[in-house]
Amino acid sequence: MRILFINNDGAGFADHIEIESNMPVAKFFAQKLPHGRPEDYLIRVNRQPVSRDQILREGDRVTITPRKIEGAIVS
Amino acid sequence: MRFNPFAWAKLKFLCHAGDSEIGGFGITSRDDLLLVEDFVTVKQSTTAISVKFDDVAVAEFFEDQVDADRMPEQFARIWLHTHPGDCPNPSSTDEVTFARVFGNCDWAIMFILARGGQTYCRLRFNSGPGGSMNIPVAVDFYTSFAASDHTAWQKEHKRNVTIEPLVPRNRLLAQSDDWDLVEDPFANEVEALLEDDMFEFEVESWEDDQCRI
Ligand SMILES: [Zn+2]
Repeated sequence: MRILFINNDGAGFADHIEIESNMPVAKFFAQKLPHGRPEDYLIRVNRQPVSRDQILREGDRVTITPRKIEGAIVS
Repeated sequence: MRFNPFAWAKLKFLCHAGDSEIGGFGITSRDDLLLVEDFVTVKQSTTAISVKFDDVAVAEFFEDQVDADRMPEQFARIWLHTHPGDCPNPSSTDEVTFARVFGNCDWAIMFILARGGQTYCRLRFNSGPGGSMNIPVAVDFYTSFAASDHTAWQKEHKRNVTIEPLVPRNRLLAQSDDWDLVEDPFANEVEALLEDDMFEFEVESWEDDQCRI
């Protein structure tokens, strides 16, 4: 099935891709960002936050974006 | 890296729009990924010495930019923020963020503008053996660019930038009955900061190899 996937790791990606049917969000994350820690990313489907066991559907828009972007003079 | 005059003017304006750090992303053209054509903020919590982006706002920014037909390399590779005083050198917090958030990208840039006008710009790349280097920064007046729009920029600042007061750590500790009050050497530093004009303090020594635009 076909979904739209957006993320910034590697070369960056914002395009339609084919994935297997009935794939949970956690499995999709592990496939696409095998070295990523889930707590470092906000995962949304169709602009809504999702649980890790939510099943992706045809036409979904999956966005994986970085969390905790911060700067400070004093650490 | 180059800024067009519009992006540079907007960054400078927002840098001084409030008594806090601010941050955002550089937007580039598809043809020239090192030419910043716009500086865009997202909702963020700031103090005089810190800036933190809202996670959902970052996600919304990504979605909106893709809807505008841009690729991530055009809008999510150049992280810009400001510093008080005259020192643009990255802090340990800046370095941790740059490594954690942008370390898996093929390339990324951390750019810092101090309120005194000094700049810091470092390119990090993962191709080949990988590496990072400081790169020069310039404003390119030969590009075409839009007129400044202070009204819109002020509205963007008001919409996206929340300024929190600085609170010394030992004051926080003193508010908790459960915690023992411990002497915090950092507290005196912050107290002094609060009592003085907050932007006249010197955080670190200035190095001559950095540029001021
Ligand atoms: Zn910083």
